Amino acid sequence: MSLFPPRSSKPILLLVLLLILVMSISLMIGGFSFYPTDVISRLTEQQWFILWEIRLPRVLLAAVIGAGLAISGVALQALFRNPLAEPGLIGVSSSAAFGAVFVIVLGGALWQEVTVWQISVAAFLLASFSTAMLYVIATRQGHTDVALMLLAGVAFNAIFGALTQLLITFSDDTQLRSALFWMMGSLANLSWFSVGMVSVFVLLATLGLWRLVKSMNAFLLGEHVSLQMGYDPKWFKWQVMGLSALIVGVSVSMVGVIGFVGLVVPHMIRLWVGADHRLVLPLSALGGAILLVLADLLARQLLYPSELPIGLLMALLGGPFFLMLLMTKRQLRISSVQRKRL
Amino acid sequence: MTLLSTIQVTNLEVRIANTTLLSHISCEFKAGNIYTILGQNGAGKSTLLKCLSHEMSPSKGEVHWDNRSLEHFSYAELACQRAVLSQSNELAFSFTVEALVQLGEEVVQRPCTEASLVVEAVLTVCDLIPLRHRDYLTLSGGEQKRAQLARVLAQIWPNSPAKEGGEDFCGKWLLLDEWTAGLDIKHQQSLARYFKQWASQGLGIIMVLHDVSFAAQLADRCLMLKSGTVFADGDVNQVLTQSILTEALEMQVQVECDSKTGRPNVSPRLLL
Repeated sequence: MSLFPPRSSKPILLLVLLLILVMSISLMIGGFSFYPTDVISRLTEQQWFILWEIRLPRVLLAAVIGAGLAISGVALQALFRNPLAEPGLIGVSSSAAFGAVFVIVLGGALWQEVTVWQISVAAFLLASFSTAMLYVIATRQGHTDVALMLLAGVAFNAIFGALTQLLITFSDDTQLRSALFWMMGSLANLSWFSVGMVSVFVLLATLGLWRLVKSMNAFLLGEHVSLQMGYDPKWFKWQVMGLSALIVGVSVSMVGVIGFVGLVVPHMIRLWVGADHRLVLPLSALGGAILLVLADLLARQLLYPSELPIGLLMALLGGPFFLMLLMTKRQLRISSVQRKRL
Repeated sequence: MTLLSTIQVTNLEVRIANTTLLSHISCEFKAGNIYTILGQNGAGKSTLLKCLSHEMSPSKGEVHWDNRSLEHFSYAELACQRAVLSQSNELAFSFTVEALVQLGEEVVQRPCTEASLVVEAVLTVCDLIPLRHRDYLTLSGGEQKRAQLARVLAQIWPNSPAKEGGEDFCGKWLLLDEWTAGLDIKHQQSLARYFKQWASQGLGIIMVLHDVSFAAQLADRCLMLKSGTVFADGDVNQVLTQSILTEALEMQVQVECDSKTGRPNVSPRLLL
């Protein structure tokens, strides 16, 4: 197990405190607000119920899913050696959503009772499949073609989006509602069971990826370089694909597609502490948790009493951010071309 | 003194999709020498280097390091013994020069105090001290090359060289693919001096070069490849002759023996 690099304790501590603060605020604000001065013993039974059965699992789930999505973004970015790789952007999430909807519609027709496990496994399988496919398409001889990766992502999003909509035309009313939910993403109406399940899988996958932080660093230098530095790139690739697909699959099967967390958070973290994965991975996990808890709070409060699907909100916030990222990349490229000409 | 490390190549053949890149390659590399692999574009120089570093597995034949087949080494084991600078290096993430070098240093388990010394030494050798906090992506091509070279050197840099005399590079190998490309002459020359010094301390250096006159000044032995086979193999004096260079590289060249150094003085001539 690798150790944290020096000077890492301060940023981690800072984000942990921030996360606790954001989570407490999110717990207190809502259709029914609490104040820090409210002593817990003075809460009524109904207040307890709201806090314990509705708000706490939701806040925890937002934190875990946010952390997971940010981590899977970091892992995919290392795999593709490019900071623009993100499960939502390159179609991994939408393929997982298709898997989930497919099982709901088909399973609903064939064997009536569809379990959470079946949905999760389908989402995981589709997520693994599309990650592997994308890697095969975009990477030749250890080099990733970024344009090809993003374009293949566009194609994947289109294909799986269309397939999901096709399924929706065949589905009845309740199925329709849940299919829409998977496409837009929502943290509403989830139980302690889902919190537990997501937490276990995200934690396992995170530990698995944490073992690989040094290889991730080396992999950024190129597949052949990581081999020369003593890491086995083949085994590394399988692990990263599997573990990130596990996170995306489980998250999508619980809350649907929530994009851009894996893009925005690692990017900000890298601007702050550099590209070393031993820092980027844990800090992105914390950052992702903070971002999604905040976004969930916004989604609940912005149009109160109705609720904005959090996937839509993240797309509305993340889309412009992505464009901004592309613009600065373009500027960098133009300025470097100019410098070469001079 | 420990036995000098050797790399033995026997009857190597590399075929990819019905194209034969290398065939019937047999040669030997002994640590403590500087080897250059010469040849035209597509002669198989980089392929041979990739086989030596176990990045590529040959279709036939074998590479032995100290009488042990390369196939029996783990990647981690090899990483502590040899470092490789590839022809192309891609990096789309902003690492500082120092952080990049640390990546190479971390390949080997070292005590903490040792680690920072190694990074410092390597940065000094590659003249990167003024650039250490710069973002790699903002460096010029030649500076990036030096940063990558520093990262590679850190991987095999000996622990506390001062304490144990000059033998610390023993058993280590440095494989360089066109390391001079993009470097200015000053840095080519200062690094070449270091290479000489380390070779005398037991480091084995194998480099692919295009600059024959530079090779003539630097190398101890040359391996000349032509269309995937060994054209000539031997001391610089034996290989860098007018006839071999004209035939193998198809270049217009004048070779004289430098009476002071005893090395061939190779001057490519542009006949217009």
